[in-house]
Amino acid sequence: MERETGIIKDSISKKKIVFFGIVPFAILSMMIVLILSYPSLFFSGQFIVVPEISIEKVEFEPLKIIATVSNTGHSEVSIVQADVNDRIHSAAMEPDNTLKRFESARVIIPFSWNEGQPYGIGLTTDDGTRFEKTIQFATLTPQPTLKQASNFALIGTYVGVIPVMIGLLWYPFIRKLSLNKYNFFLSFTLGLLVFLGIDALLEGNEIVVRDISSAFHGQMLLIMVAILSLVSLIYISSKLMKNARAKSSDPEYPVYTEVSKEDASNVSSVQSSRQHLIIRPVALSMMIAIGIGLHNFGEGLAIGAAVLLGEVALSSFLILGFTLHNTTEGLAIVAPMARNKKLAIAKLILMGLIAGVPTIIGSWIGGFLYSPLATIIFLGIGAGAIFQVVYSVGSWMYYNNNKVLASLPIVSGFMLGIFIMYITGLLV
Amino acid sequence: MSHPQAIVLVGVIISILTLGVVTVLGSAKDENSTFNTKQFGGHTPGYGTYETTGSVLDPTSLPTDPKNSVVDPMKFLREFNHGRVSHSANGSTVREFTVIASDQSTREISPGVNYNVWTFNNTVPGPTLRATEGDLIRINFVNNGSGFHTMHFHGIHPSEMDGVFEGIAPGGKFTYEFIAEPFGVFPYHCHIQPLEEHITHGLYGALIIDPKKPRANADEMVMMMNGYDTDFDTENNFYTVNGIPYYYMHHPINIEEGKLIRIYLVNMLEFDPLNNFHLHANMFNFYKTGTNLVPDEYTDIVTMNQGERGILEFSYKFPGKYMFHAHKTEFAEKGWMGSFLVTAPENAVNASSFTNVTTAITNPTNGGLS
Repeated sequence: MERETGIIKDSISKKKIVFFGIVPFAILSMMIVLILSYPSLFFSGQFIVVPEISIEKVEFEPLKIIATVSNTGHSEVSIVQADVNDRIHSAAMEPDNTLKRFESARVIIPFSWNEGQPYGIGLTTDDGTRFEKTIQFATLTPQPTLKQASNFALIGTYVGVIPVMIGLLWYPFIRKLSLNKYNFFLSFTLGLLVFLGIDALLEGNEIVVRDISSAFHGQMLLIMVAILSLVSLIYISSKLMKNARAKSSDPEYPVYTEVSKEDASNVSSVQSSRQHLIIRPVALSMMIAIGIGLHNFGEGLAIGAAVLLGEVALSSFLILGFTLHNTTEGLAIVAPMARNKKLAIAKLILMGLIAGVPTIIGSWIGGFLYSPLATIIFLGIGAGAIFQVVYSVGSWMYYNNNKVLASLPIVSGFMLGIFIMYITGLLV
Repeated sequence: MSHPQAIVLVGVIISILTLGVVTVLGSAKDENSTFNTKQFGGHTPGYGTYETTGSVLDPTSLPTDPKNSVVDPMKFLREFNHGRVSHSANGSTVREFTVIASDQSTREISPGVNYNVWTFNNTVPGPTLRATEGDLIRINFVNNGSGFHTMHFHGIHPSEMDGVFEGIAPGGKFTYEFIAEPFGVFPYHCHIQPLEEHITHGLYGALIIDPKKPRANADEMVMMMNGYDTDFDTENNFYTVNGIPYYYMHHPINIEEGKLIRIYLVNMLEFDPLNNFHLHANMFNFYKTGTNLVPDEYTDIVTMNQGERGILEFSYKFPGKYMFHAHKTEFAEKGWMGSFLVTAPENAVNASSFTNVTTAITNPTNGGLS
């Protein structure tokens, strides 16, 4: 009897579960319908709709200023007047001057602007509210011509490819180091990467503050993309490692070879134990190269965008700063694979290109098509990728140093890595 | 490069880059699809005309919608309200006006820009009241607004007619009565605090008191310099003469060559400490405050502080189009500019447009006076 009722209870409770799962949704939908149909039941007085638009981009063409504006408020908005430096000018708006929520349009203002001067571009909505965007340095917006593209490619090569390649030349030097010194350089690399990851987030934040309307919650988007990128890359890499292990002849083949305490003191035995890890260091280097490539892509976007937005005149000094700063990235790539017996020059060059070339591509996209939203998404992905590399290299070192990271070479290398990045970063 | 992990990661990068390239191509495609429909930008010397498929935002060449416009500047220009005339027991002239204050309507003050204006008789600026020195002025004031309002006149009158200490409540009425003295040009405005708020929303107008011996016959007009702070940041977004920015640029004021022109100029601009008037290709006699029959200055520019006013007299020697505007060029480029179209007498457009319009409309809700 008890058992029977128990069964009946079970079947009832299943229905109940479904019922109780639906009830909150049903009540919620009723609420929504009610509020939308009879707002006066809930709110006394008028709804005051505050228009909000955001001028996302301002481009300078001969005798023309073109602003891209989007409606980031909660209701449809009409833009009725345009001004330059708070002086009203005739203008056109394409496709038209009424913007639905999140819709954007281009405002074309015929204006004889002067190179190098700051300008405030203002738009007034139909309720008389004026919105402004200030451009520090008016300069002809780069047009996607072959000449401009090759200019960007040249800048990208100097800033991204050449420094990474120079950094790779440390490869033979690092190969000859003792374990302690090697640990020092590997953790030095970690320091560099942590710096780059934080740098990407800060740079993204600057763009959020400057160019992205609060309606998009840019800061949260940046952090969220970085976390998603980090978590999914960790998942993908561990999945791939498991598959690789399953395929190998030894089912007990460990992801990280653990070294006994006696062996740890003996450099030669460490080297012998590393025989099993031939793939790992190369993969780590590759991951670092990709992570840095993503970072450099973001850096390229920033350089291109800076030129587009007239924020900087790219000076030779600035390019020199980037070059010095990025040379350390080459070092980060060579460090893990330095202990490989086999010299892999071709692979190194490939990695150098993977890390460096995205700078060029980034500068093209940033310079010809600046989208703040896309830029922070790329920067977020880049930051996540770098932190994933930090995680991988970190765990690799952890297992190869008997689960002890708090040694002097490692800690000092890490700190010096961050510090060097900070110092070279001052040049940019 | 045999490692699958690396290959996947390279794949991720490639797909990101592809996304970027696709976006570039996508936007390039948009720019190619232009069908030329409307022209804009051609009115400014030195600029070409541009064509657009979209909307034209052009306050300097598009007229506002007259139905919802805050004022008809062309009508306002030469409209002088002499009131309903009667005579008192002692034989002096009595001029009776009705002025209604409102503060609830939202009107178009510049093409597409809607702003909650506070008005005397439904327009900004309010009606130009006119009397002769010694007349008894009687103003039946009705407050149709949602807050307290008054009418405060400049000039000589008793304390209780000053419109300062006796605020008129919503729905309330008050009769202002005083002898018109001295002759000159006087602003009137609401004197409820915050003053700045009541004035900048539009509660002001001009009172002209003519000398007993009339001034020489002339084509007379009133020009009220004002501004609108539509986003409430205590800075004017628009500057105008007679209520609508740029209006007389696309509707030039027709005047006759050689004819004496008399402008009653009043500055009711808020926030900015000064405003001015500059006449092109000509000079004018300026009578400060209009209280003297001898000109104070022969000039082409006059600068006024808040509430200051005067009379300008000039005539044009040559036909053609001439600008007038604030020589504070910021104001000019935010709407305070206009133009005269001077024609030789034989080509004169319509002689009746030069005679002063005298109104005695009895229905005050229609924006008229009685």
